[in-house]
Amino acid sequence: MSTQKFGFTRSAVALTLAAASAWLGSTPAHADDTLDRIKERKRVVIGVVVSGGPFGAIDPATQQLTGFNPEVARGLAQGLGTDVELVAVLPSNRIQYLQQKRVDLLVASMEWTEERAAQLTFAPTPYYRNGGAAIFRKDSGITRWEDLAGKPVCLSQGSNYGKPLTEQYGAQLKGFRGASESLLALRGGNCVAAVHDGTLIYRLVEDDAEWKGYAAPFDELIPSPSVVWVRPGEKDTAQAVDRVIQGWHRDGWLIATEKSVGISRPSAALVELQGAARAQAPLPQWAQK
Amino acid sequence: MIDAVFAPVVAFFKPLGLNYAFLLDAMDRQAFWRGMGVTLELCLLVIPCSLAAGVLIAAALTSGRTWLALPTRAFVEVTRNTPTLVQLYCAFLVLNMLITQQLHQYGANPLTPLMWVVIVVSLHKGVFHAEALRAGIEAVPRVTLEAARSLGFSRRQLLWRVELPLAVRFALPSLINNLVDLVKMTAVASAIAVGDVTYESIMIWTQRDNVLELLLLILLYFGLLTWFVSVVGRWLETRLRMPGYGQ
Repeated sequence: MSTQKFGFTRSAVALTLAAASAWLGSTPAHADDTLDRIKERKRVVIGVVVSGGPFGAIDPATQQLTGFNPEVARGLAQGLGTDVELVAVLPSNRIQYLQQKRVDLLVASMEWTEERAAQLTFAPTPYYRNGGAAIFRKDSGITRWEDLAGKPVCLSQGSNYGKPLTEQYGAQLKGFRGASESLLALRGGNCVAAVHDGTLIYRLVEDDAEWKGYAAPFDELIPSPSVVWVRPGEKDTAQAVDRVIQGWHRDGWLIATEKSVGISRPSAALVELQGAARAQAPLPQWAQK
Repeated sequence: MIDAVFAPVVAFFKPLGLNYAFLLDAMDRQAFWRGMGVTLELCLLVIPCSLAAGVLIAAALTSGRTWLALPTRAFVEVTRNTPTLVQLYCAFLVLNMLITQQLHQYGANPLTPLMWVVIVVSLHKGVFHAEALRAGIEAVPRVTLEAARSLGFSRRQLLWRVELPLAVRFALPSLINNLVDLVKMTAVASAIAVGDVTYESIMIWTQRDNVLELLLLILLYFGLLTWFVSVVGRWLETRLRMPGYGQ
């Protein structure tokens, strides 16, 4: 009796471990069931980051997600010919949402990096370019990125700016759940600077009266292409998404959307991508992986 | 040298689908180790602070003076009925920012994120301790109090020498229960970038994607800490046991 019980326990452990390793994203057995599932259900679930501002926010009146990321997500669903369900994710948990199949795609201001490309699959044509900007008090005496060495710098947990900040500039990182907490911590004096996507920071120093004592004058940190991410190995889904994005670069939909959601600094990257798409040339240098 | 110790560990878990490769990276390993230290430090600070807060609040609640008991009651209700994380955000992101702005002309704000965690968590759990102690204080037999008063004990002597010693014994199981919860509650520190074990793990797994592996370690670590608290609690219960009370 007791051996039987032991046998059962062992197989339970093996099952748990097998489930765990599958969940960890080891290569799935079937090539790409996500695209099949999307087509079958006529519905795609997309994770978007809504950290406020024209790139993604929640409309307080209607509770609808608005801004560039949600618009791109809706456009993708339209291009795929399906309905869309948007899920608000955070930089700290977006990869888990994707891996646990709670979302099919991520349109989450998530730039291409080598580490991410090693664990996830992506649609190779970028839909935007994003780099990090440092915001700090004008009277802080900081004049270049190197001045952040040894000083506390606030950012979001899961931000890809952490690596260059520590390895290149030797900053001391303080990771918060999201950009809003990090920015409040900056104002509370818990760090000398906060580093987030330039798209978020420039809007604050340009149009926000609350931030008039602050500046963000540096060149962008690791400007990288924003791409749409899918689960590892799901090449068919990535390809279907990529075709839609290529179409946008040809017909200028992204540039029009950028304008319609009220992004104040038009992205030079989108113009370059449009030029390349129309001339049927390869992607610009910065967008190649 | 240390790598030689961890390499077989990493190799052992690899076929099980668990990737503990972060142990071979000096930076990540030190970060995790430091995180374990900060969690322990938080526990060691928060346990005595919360107990002190609990005694003060319980004393105020049972003082019988309306001007003291009523505001304390209001504080207890507000603290008990709002989430710790929300309190921490309010304290650290709002209150701390206002303090920094007020102090800007005089210099830096001396309150660190770690201090805010200790203050908020101690007060939050102190309220629960106070309620447990109040139950203990109210369970002290009226005749015992009358006997003490007839011997000329002042109000303070009554509290310190009669009510609290008995109340602590009555309340000990719930106090230990609260302390176990308190140890787990220190994980909220990760929300405001205090480098406890949860925070360091989040920082590691967002780069390495080894969530499951790190969560297993965190689970084990907190399990160990809370187990230790309950062992001490059980030892105290036997040690403080009084013949004739609750036996």
